Amino acid sequence: MQLRRTQLYEFHKKHAKLTAFSGFEMPLWYKGIIEEHMAVRNSVGIFDISHMGRVIIEGEDAEKFLNYLTSNDVSRLKTLQAQYTTILNEHGGIVDDTIICRLEEDRFLQVPNAANREKDVDWFNRHSGGFQVSIRDVSDEVAMLAVQGPKAVDVLNQVSNVDVSGVRRFSGVWLEIAGARVLATRTGYTGEDGFELYIWDASLSEPKPAYDVWNSLLEAGRRFGIEPCGLGARDTLRLEAGMCLYGNDIDDDTTPLEANLGFVVKLDKGEFIGREALLRQKEEGVKRLRVGIKLLERGIPRPHHEVWSDDKKIGVVTSGTMSPLLRCGIAMAYVDSSYAEYGRKVYVQIRKRRVLGEIVKFPFYDTTKYGYRRA
Amino acid sequence: MSEDYEIPENLYYTKEHEWARVEDDVVVMGITDYAQTQLHEVVYVELPEVGSEVEQMEAIGTVESVKAVSEIYTPVSGRIIEVNRTLEDRPELVNVDPYGEGWIAKIQPTNLKEELKSLMTAAEYADYLRTLEE
Repeated sequence: MQLRRTQLYEFHKKHAKLTAFSGFEMPLWYKGIIEEHMAVRNSVGIFDISHMGRVIIEGEDAEKFLNYLTSNDVSRLKTLQAQYTTILNEHGGIVDDTIICRLEEDRFLQVPNAANREKDVDWFNRHSGGFQVSIRDVSDEVAMLAVQGPKAVDVLNQVSNVDVSGVRRFSGVWLEIAGARVLATRTGYTGEDGFELYIWDASLSEPKPAYDVWNSLLEAGRRFGIEPCGLGARDTLRLEAGMCLYGNDIDDDTTPLEANLGFVVKLDKGEFIGREALLRQKEEGVKRLRVGIKLLERGIPRPHHEVWSDDKKIGVVTSGTMSPLLRCGIAMAYVDSSYAEYGRKVYVQIRKRRVLGEIVKFPFYDTTKYGYRRA
Repeated sequence: MSEDYEIPENLYYTKEHEWARVEDDVVVMGITDYAQTQLHEVVYVELPEVGSEVEQMEAIGTVESVKAVSEIYTPVSGRIIEVNRTLEDRPELVNVDPYGEGWIAKIQPTNLKEELKSLMTAAEYADYLRTLEE
């Protein structure tokens, strides 16, 4: 199968170890996962995330439509505000987890996961009957980068025509970088402060504006030790932050309540697909819950490893890694909800060994020292 | 290219990218330069147990990078008599010095003469790497 490429492929080919991800040929790392990871935690890193999708949903009923198709409350969004949300099926299972940003009163941007670009658009089209709405995938015309880390704002302010310091988390602003028109939202997938940049006129066939923005950020970030970061660091960063990876930690058969994403479920907002199922599940109580497990002994948990409490198998790991920051094994796992309490000691079965761990809160790191809430 | 990897002359090699060095009546083993390059940034080595009896090409441990897990196969049958405990705190030695300080285990072989015939020489291993890159 021919792998798809992003606007910045030529840079990756020259500088990165490449990997296949969701049908895209993407950078796994440039210098190394650990170094890139630590650059983002301590200073700043940039990511090409153009493999994600960009979908414009517009029309008189756009808000009504999205509110029916997602679990969070779209009506709460003012212009240039964004929210994290889930698209659900009738069983409450997660079709995709996504960001929705209100661009104008009747115009929204939705960001599908790379693997779900076609799936989301198909799902929207299938449910758009009776709504005055148009759905357009603009992924190939709009590039997408992320600037993440405690120095992200400093770097952006050097190249942007607008000061971004005052932009609130999950809000956005239109600005210009190196002559390119960019929507910058204060969002990300690392747990750190930072922005995701939508470079509006950077198509696959005319990618120059994407390179101009990428290169000017690298240049401006040099004095902060900026690193281009690949998908390896993106994965370890999101895992330390406790954020889900679609396909690993959530899928069509997990509900946001099981995934501990209750904050994106607004059961009182009115009818939406999946609401009935979630109401039922809430009433009955969830049987399994997504939790974080920090290993207290040596070992690296990986997907499919079993989680045990004494002689009872209580769950399974969905994502795991060595935490570059904490220097120990960390995992996301679904466990029997009666065992899901902070501080509980559990074992992860790593091949032939049982390794002691503890159920902990997300994120895994100390939020007074790392992440966007740090002082 | 296989020319980019260090392949010392005096060692024996497996298709799974382990090396074996015969030192008197003991075999020292580890993973090759090619293997450590593919893994990149080794962050964890699960060592075999000292005293365990192993069969040639049995999985005796793992080498892990942040993203990948790779099994370690023993190039010869025998008894594990020593493991490189330094790797518990400094797994990166496998990257830095795969044929030296990054060694993994020492084995008291039980069928050395016969089993060495099934391993590759340095020249054969270099040819083998070339076939992997085609």
